[in-house]
Amino acid sequence: MPQDTVIEVEHVDAGYPTLRVLEDISFTVQRGEVFVILGGSGCGKSTLLKHMIGLNPPLCGEIRIKGDSMTSGTTEERERAMRHFGVTYQSGALFGSMTLLENVCLPLEVFTDLPLDARNWVAEMKLDLVGLKPFASFFPADISGGMKKRAAIARALALDPEILFLDEPSAGLDPVTSAELDRLILRLRDLQRITFVIVTHELASIFAVADRCIMLDKKTRSILAQGSPAELRDRPPNAAVHAFFNREPLP
Amino acid sequence: MTIILPELCSAETIAPLWRDVMTEISRLGKGDEVTLDASGVTRCEGAGDALILELVRRAAGQGFALVFSDERRVIERVLSIFDVASFADDPATVNPKRNTDTRVQVGQAAVRIYEDVCEQLAFLGEICTSAFSLLIRPGRLRLRDTMLHFERAGIDALPIILLIGFLMGLILAFLSAASLRQFGVEVYVADLIAIGLFRELGPLITAIILAGRTGSAFAAELGTMKVNEEIDALTTFGLPPVFFLALPRVISATLVMPILSVFAVLSGLIGGLVVLMGMRIPAVTYWQHVIQSSTLTIILMGLFKAAVFGLLVGLVGCSHGLQTARTADGVGRAATAAVVGSLILITIFDGLFAVLFYLLGM
Repeated sequence: MPQDTVIEVEHVDAGYPTLRVLEDISFTVQRGEVFVILGGSGCGKSTLLKHMIGLNPPLCGEIRIKGDSMTSGTTEERERAMRHFGVTYQSGALFGSMTLLENVCLPLEVFTDLPLDARNWVAEMKLDLVGLKPFASFFPADISGGMKKRAAIARALALDPEILFLDEPSAGLDPVTSAELDRLILRLRDLQRITFVIVTHELASIFAVADRCIMLDKKTRSILAQGSPAELRDRPPNAAVHAFFNREPLP
Repeated sequence: MTIILPELCSAETIAPLWRDVMTEISRLGKGDEVTLDASGVTRCEGAGDALILELVRRAAGQGFALVFSDERRVIERVLSIFDVASFADDPATVNPKRNTDTRVQVGQAAVRIYEDVCEQLAFLGEICTSAFSLLIRPGRLRLRDTMLHFERAGIDALPIILLIGFLMGLILAFLSAASLRQFGVEVYVADLIAIGLFRELGPLITAIILAGRTGSAFAAELGTMKVNEEIDALTTFGLPPVFFLALPRVISATLVMPILSVFAVLSGLIGGLVVLMGMRIPAVTYWQHVIQSSTLTIILMGLFKAAVFGLLVGLVGCSHGLQTARTADGVGRAATAAVVGSLILITIFDGLFAVLFYLLGM
C-alpha cells in the first residue's frame, strides 16, 4: 500500500453552530487506499464528509487535501484542493434535464478547453468505465438507482480527480447491484489509482472494498476504532464495535 | 508524421494539441504513417486516453498506419481498458441536436396542448366527483387543512392585496380625474372608481395576485409531494389525492377570493379618496357618489366573478401540482404552468363574463 498522505484531518470538531456532533477527530488517508468512514445512523458520518469536501466548515480543526487547506487556506488554495477530488451523493444528484453524457460533459465544458468531440470522447470513456456507455443518451429519470450511482461516479471522474468521496454508495441498492458497485470501486482504484473515501454502514460493502476504516460513535462523539474491517471484526476494541460488526443490538 | 504526447496528458495539455493533431491527420490517407510517441508520458488522464483512442479510430477509418512508441506501456494500458470499436463513429454526434424543424415543433406543441387539455379535463372530472361526494358527506372535508390554506391564501395575502388595491385606486383616480377635470365633473371620478373596482378591477387584480402567490404555491407544494412520493403514499393508503389534497385547496381559494376582492376594492376606494381630497372634493361627497353608484347588482357581479376566478386558480394550481414530472425542474415547470394557465383562464373568463353580463342587460 502506498504511503503518501493525500488527506489530513486534524483535531476537527464536526457539526453545526448549534450542534456539536463529533469532537477532536484526527486521521489521515493514504494515496490509493479505500478508506471507509462508518458508524451508526446519526453519528456524524455525512457531517464529517461535508466538512471534508468543503460544503460546510468544521467548528474547529484543520482539513488538508494533498497539502491544500480546506478550512484555513485562501480561496485559491481551497479551489486547488477541490480540483483534487470528485464527490458522489446518496441520490446520485444527476441533473435531470441532461442526458448522462451531458451530465459527464458538464464539468469538462466548464473547466477545460477541450473541443466538443474531445469532451464527448472523454465523457463516453468515463461512462464506459462504469459500464453505462450504451445509456449515454438516456436521462436520469429513465435509469435505475444503481445506474444513477454509477453515472454519478462517471461524472465525478470527468476531471480525473485523484480522490473520490462517495456518500452512502450502496444505500437503497439490492445486494447484487451493491456488489457490482463495490467491484467498480476496486476496479477504478486499480486502474486509475484513485483514493476512495466512502461513507457507509453497509457491512458487506465495507468488507468488500475497505482497506482501512474508522468507526464513529454518537455517544462519545469520537472515533471509536480504526483499522482494517477484518481487524475490527476479529479483535473489536469494545462492545460497540463488536455489536456493529456482528449486527447485534448494543448491550 | 510524429505526434509526441506530453509528460502529463491532462485536459490542459491535450486541448491545444487536439485541434492541431486533428487538422493534420484529416489530410492523411492510405500509405501515410503516423508515429504516436508516448515514451515521455508519466501520467495519462482522460483527455490523453481520448486522444489515443481517437487516433486509433481515425487510423482505422482513413487507412493510414499508426505506429506506437510506447516504452512505458501507456497506450497499451488505454487500449486494454477501452474497446475502440465499441465507441461511436463520430463522438461529436453522440448527442444529437434537438429537432429544430418548425413543423415538428408546432406539431409537438399541439400534442402537448391536447394532452394538457385532456389532463385538465380529467382532473376537473375527479374534483367534481370529490365535491359531489363531499355534498353527500360534508363531514369528510378536512376542515383543519382547509382553514390552514384559507389563512395562507387569504390572511397572509392581505398586506399585498391592500397595497396593490390602494395603488390601483390612486392611479385610476389620477388618470380619470385628469380627463374629467377638463369638463369640471371630477366628482364623477368616485362613480368611476367604485364601478370599476367593484365590477372589474377588484376581482381581476386580486385574481392575478392569487394566481402568482397561491396558485404557484399550490403547484409547488403538490409537485414536491409528488417528487417525494408522498402522493404515492396517500394513494396506497386508499386516500384519493384529489379529495385529500386538492379539494381543501380549491375550496379555500374559492372562498377566500371574494373576501380578498372586497378588501382590494375598499383599499382602492381609499386610494381614490386620497386623490380626490387632494383636488378639494369633500370626503362626504366622495362617499355619497360611491354608495349611489355601487348597486347590489354590481357588488354581487364582482363577488361572483371573484369566486369563479378563485376556483380557476385553485383548480389550475392543484392540477399542475399533481401532474408534476418527477424531476428537479418538474416542480418549477409546474409552478410556472400553474400561474400562466391561471392567468389565461382568468382573462378568458373575464371576457366571457363581460359578454354574459352585457347580454343579461347588467
